[in-house]
Amino acid sequence: MTAIGDIADGLTLRGWAIDPDAGREGPAEIVVTDGRLERVTWLDGADADGVGPDGTLIVPGLVDLHAHFREPGNEDAETVASGQAAAAHGGFTSVAVMPNTTPAIDEPGVAALVRAAAAASGSPVRVLVHGAVTAGRKGETLAPLGELADAGVAGFSDDGASVHRGAILGNALAYAGALGLPVIDHPEDPSLTDGAEASEGYVATVLGLKAWPVAAESGAVARAIDVLAGVVRDVPGARLHLTHVSTAASLAHVRGAKAAGLPVTCDVTPHHVALADEWIAGSRRWAWEAVADDGSPRDPWTDGALTADPFDPALRVNPPLRPASDAAACLEALVDGAADAIGTDHAPHTEVDKHVEFGWASNGISGIETALSTILAAVDAGRLPLARAVEAFTVGPARVLGERQGVRPGLREGEPADLVVVDRGATWTVTPASLRSRGKNSPLLGRELRGVVRLTLAGGRVAYEDAAS
Amino acid sequence: MTTATASVPAVDAPPETQPVAWRHRHLLDVDGLGPAELELVMGTTDAMREVLARPIPKVPALRGTNVTILFYEASTRTRVSFEVAAKNLSCDVVNIAASASSVSKGESLVDTVRTIEALGAHMLVMRHGVSGAPYLAAEVFGGSVLNGGDGWHAHPSQALLDLYTLRSRLPGGSLEGRKVVILGDVLHSRVARSNVWSLTAMGADLWLCGPSTLLRGFDAWAARGAAGRRFTATSDPDEALRDADVVMALRIQRERMASGLLPSLREYAARYGLTQERLRRAKPDVVIMHPGPMNEGVEIAPDVAVDPRSVITDQVTNGVAVRMALLYLLAGARQRAGGGG
Repeated sequence: MTAIGDIADGLTLRGWAIDPDAGREGPAEIVVTDGRLERVTWLDGADADGVGPDGTLIVPGLVDLHAHFREPGNEDAETVASGQAAAAHGGFTSVAVMPNTTPAIDEPGVAALVRAAAAASGSPVRVLVHGAVTAGRKGETLAPLGELADAGVAGFSDDGASVHRGAILGNALAYAGALGLPVIDHPEDPSLTDGAEASEGYVATVLGLKAWPVAAESGAVARAIDVLAGVVRDVPGARLHLTHVSTAASLAHVRGAKAAGLPVTCDVTPHHVALADEWIAGSRRWAWEAVADDGSPRDPWTDGALTADPFDPALRVNPPLRPASDAAACLEALVDGAADAIGTDHAPHTEVDKHVEFGWASNGISGIETALSTILAAVDAGRLPLARAVEAFTVGPARVLGERQGVRPGLREGEPADLVVVDRGATWTVTPASLRSRGKNSPLLGRELRGVVRLTLAGGRVAYEDAAS
Repeated sequence: MTTATASVPAVDAPPETQPVAWRHRHLLDVDGLGPAELELVMGTTDAMREVLARPIPKVPALRGTNVTILFYEASTRTRVSFEVAAKNLSCDVVNIAASASSVSKGESLVDTVRTIEALGAHMLVMRHGVSGAPYLAAEVFGGSVLNGGDGWHAHPSQALLDLYTLRSRLPGGSLEGRKVVILGDVLHSRVARSNVWSLTAMGADLWLCGPSTLLRGFDAWAARGAAGRRFTATSDPDEALRDADVVMALRIQRERMASGLLPSLREYAARYGLTQERLRRAKPDVVIMHPGPMNEGVEIAPDVAVDPRSVITDQVTNGVAVRMALLYLLAGARQRAGGGG
């Protein structure tokens, strides 16, 4: 029996391996010795008998470019250590945390505090830190971006809010661009979302929830892209990453910007891909099951799809869950690469903040442990190629974060073992006890999911090992 | 399907002894009620009307049942109506106005509901400004929760008293094919939303009408129907009122101007106010309704409110009978399920 943090040694792993860095996929045997991938042997012929993509899966450790570990300031909801444990349970070995802590990570001392907590936890899960764009995340004046860059931050974000003043956003893109770092924008026009509860559309209308317009996101996306277009002419290194993009309209803007050659990337969350707004009404079918043949959302009231009680506050999230047609657009973006990455937007909350009236509940879903199973459900349904899912969980986010962070997902001989072993055929039930996160605010509580993480190795060390394996 | 001809219950007797086909422990919305269940509520309300007509309008049916009325929003008619209804059934009633309780000290709804249960409540009638709040209460409360209005979402007892009032007014007692118009601030109205479910379930030709800012989204809902039941949404009051059998005006709140949804009350009154002139488009014997409280001279002209065709005071009277029926049916379902009390 090994313990968390032990050097992985003497392991022979056999299964369906995917190395998105090398573009290779197939039956493989991987020998781990003294923390390193001593040998990666791609099997064929009789050696590969019984090894298929639906059995044991071996992929590089997953990378999350967007999570909230709540430390410092809200350790009741999550700590760096509990966040690392949750990440490892979800198959993630590198996690970039957002700076909307208390105080915000808007100066190097707070970043150092988060790093120190990560080092002290004993978990080998690598914690990267995003710095705030503006002082105190107030959107008014720039945070010390250069000092934060010297302290090793992975990017800059005021996540939880957009950088809603266009001039500040432009300055941040230019300044961060010269430092070689991306600005990660949470696109939201606050003038359209005051008091908003659910995405505009049929479900919000029927349930009497205040509508959250699509334009609140797509308008902010369009503006951020247009601001970038001006900046990048003067500062070629400027990079914009749009996080938790959730609508077809936003993705259309992103596609246009990419076609125009602008340095824009984006991520989508597992919940915006797999859950539709009809879940708030009590539906529990996957979003791709809620789309009619013509692409429009089906009617859960007519379908008899409302199997749970409505208004589960665990479903309150920013941006809100969208109609199934938008979820389908997010899935399509994963399939064709318009979305570069899956970001979990893991947002743990306490009962006090979450087990309250729907409209008063804090925004967010504790999702880093269910992300892989949720996306694998789309793979199981034939909606997403397995290799694309793995790319969007590994090399996709690693490219956004940049080489300088040292996150290079792959299965390369001689390098430290950084991988996850997943039993795709096995199932697990999401319960408060099964979640390592302190945040039990998952709308999937009680649900059985396919895809069990058996082993997570990070940087050559054991980050998670399933007791049953 | 349960029988739609449920005989009028002998409401003097304890409810669990009645062979009624009511299976709901809570009443949180009307979207799940089918025609047979609506008929059962109507039939039970008839029996309660009979009780109310007695010299002493009180029966011992729910003696020993503790009802707590928890209102987070100001209300006169709904709160008092529930209180009178509960007392007519011999319940013991506790009233909690949220501003006068621990709620104003920051106590959560979940803790408040647990406290109310610990104090012995069997039934909880609640009003809350946030859509869906009664579902949270029902999740933690061991007894029955009756939604007295939540946010913009639902107001089941109002929809049921509207239905009862209409059936007693319309010739033949049927809404089948009758043109019913709900006029006003549909967007923010839990009354309108609940009536969409109950009136369409009974076959009414329902029209929702209001300024386009206060009708956002309802076109899309109308196009899909309510679980297959169609209605019409329009911002044209003349089209809506043409040959209407029933028109219900909704209250306009002043904060709609501040949030930029309407230019002015004056403009609203001129374009959508229910006046005698506008009513001439409707059938001569049109039934006039309003859930109250009214802004006379804004959404309804004073002479329309007191017109002989107005049933606004009937709505209030019937409200007591309907709420008696609901308390009675819920108590029966709870007790048959072994809920005690």
